[in-house]
Amino acid sequence: MTHSNLNQLPDLMAATQALAENLLASEPFAVYQQASARFSADPHARGLIERLSQAQADLRRRQMNRGVTQADVDQLRALQSEVQSNDVIVDYVTTQQSAVAYLREINQEISLLIGSDFAALAGRSSC
Amino acid sequence: MSDFDLNELELAPPEVVRQAARDFAAALAETPQFKAYEEAIERLNHDTAAQRAIDAFQSKQQSLQALLMLNAVSAADKAELQRLQNAFSSAPAVVAYAQAQADLMAICQASADWLSEAIGLNYATACGSGCC
Repeated sequence: MTHSNLNQLPDLMAATQALAENLLASEPFAVYQQASARFSADPHARGLIERLSQAQADLRRRQMNRGVTQADVDQLRALQSEVQSNDVIVDYVTTQQSAVAYLREINQEISLLIGSDFAALAGRSSC
Repeated sequence: MSDFDLNELELAPPEVVRQAARDFAAALAETPQFKAYEEAIERLNHDTAAQRAIDAFQSKQQSLQALLMLNAVSAADKAELQRLQNAFSSAPAVVAYAQAQADLMAICQASADWLSEAIGLNYATACGSGCC
């Protein structure tokens, strides 16, 4: 079912729209959106994440081939350290964690009222 | 973010956001899909034939649990387990429940997709309803 199918359920559509707007205007999400925008606009921060991801994938590949050197490990640790001390990335990650924690509280509120875990009903099993 | 930046934004007070969540839950509970789901659960819980079929399947499955984990179930037991599974999954109350659940999940997914697009996070994943 797509959003347009909710047209058949106007009250649910309106309530979903209102909840989306209110979530977006909540402090945890407003802060997260700003941190996300700063991260997206920072090529250095994005490049660091890409390099870390690439380095981790390379190391896993080398581990499988038993070809990991101390230099590989040192390079990965240096990258991890650089990522962890980058304010834009740290801000992005911590604000995202706060937004997720807040979203879980909201999901709990919904779930208590409907008697089922709303997120579980909304999940798509990939098993 | 500085305090100045935050003050520039028109933030929704926490109680207003929670009320929106409660309104959403109420709207979901009023949908025909949700009502049909609740009715299907009720019918299933009171359908003795379906309950017997479910119990027979679960009992057999439990008795074979260790062998199932070792993939060492005999062909006869496998066939019996399959027969019991078919018997419960084709019981009218179970079929109706599965359909009602699928219909409800479809509208929950549509709403969650909408929320996910708005907030920039996958709602179901963020709320920890991971698979398995």
